[in-house]
Amino acid sequence: MGSTSALKELQRDLENKANDLSKLQKDIAKNHQVRKKYTIQLGENELVLKELDLLNEDANVYKLIGPVLVKQDLAEANANVRKRIDYISTELKRLDGILQDLEEKQNSKKEAIFKVQQRIQSLQAGKGKA
Amino acid sequence: MEKMSLEQLRALKEQADLEFNLFQDSLNNVRTATARLEIASTALQDLSLRPRGKKMLVPLTASLYVPGSLDDADKVLVDVGTGYFIEKTMVEGKEYCERKINLLKSNYDQLLEVATKKKSIADETGAILQAKLKQVAPIQ
Repeated sequence: MGSTSALKELQRDLENKANDLSKLQKDIAKNHQVRKKYTIQLGENELVLKELDLLNEDANVYKLIGPVLVKQDLAEANANVRKRIDYISTELKRLDGILQDLEEKQNSKKEAIFKVQQRIQSLQAGKGKA
Repeated sequence: MEKMSLEQLRALKEQADLEFNLFQDSLNNVRTATARLEIASTALQDLSLRPRGKKMLVPLTASLYVPGSLDDADKVLVDVGTGYFIEKTMVEGKEYCERKINLLKSNYDQLLEVATKKKSIADETGAILQAKLKQVAPIQ
């Protein structure tokens, strides 16, 4: 009887760990998606910066705000795009850190699950012999 | 690779095939973008030939056109991305199109190189898989 309840407990533990693992994997997938979006935006902003750098001082720059094209100062446009690039780079670095952390947690969860499975197997083998 | 089990080989081939398909999609996207830029470049070329004051039809929506006349065709507004538009001369506009088209073409070539490598890996894995299957089959 004792070993049956121990077995049940182990199986419950296994289920919990498996749920945790699947949540971790979903978080990792979401992280990848957000990173992809930011990487694309970073690329686009760098293209814009290159174009702006090629311009003369007196060239006209406009920004689309909603349905309105608003004339912008070249220096201001440069500053805005640079700020955006910096922001996106910081966000990407932050996401990289989170991703590493999540992956470590995932690996240790997998190991823990494996250990629980081993214990379940040895318990079941023990019961079989008895 | 030949030391791997059947299962591993199968998984590897599937992954290589998947990656190759992704590359195919990217290649198609780049080709479409290049085509659109080339159309823009042609349109610019055509526009530069039109005289000022020429009568034209201006699209207001997809099905509504309004008669108008061409103003200064030497100034063009270029969409450079993230909501920014730059006023350029006709010459600069054409140069912009050229630059973008060249950039896309070089991207396309780089992509093609990597995609071909992936395809050859997928094919090689498939061949080894087939050979292994043949080895196993006669024993049964």
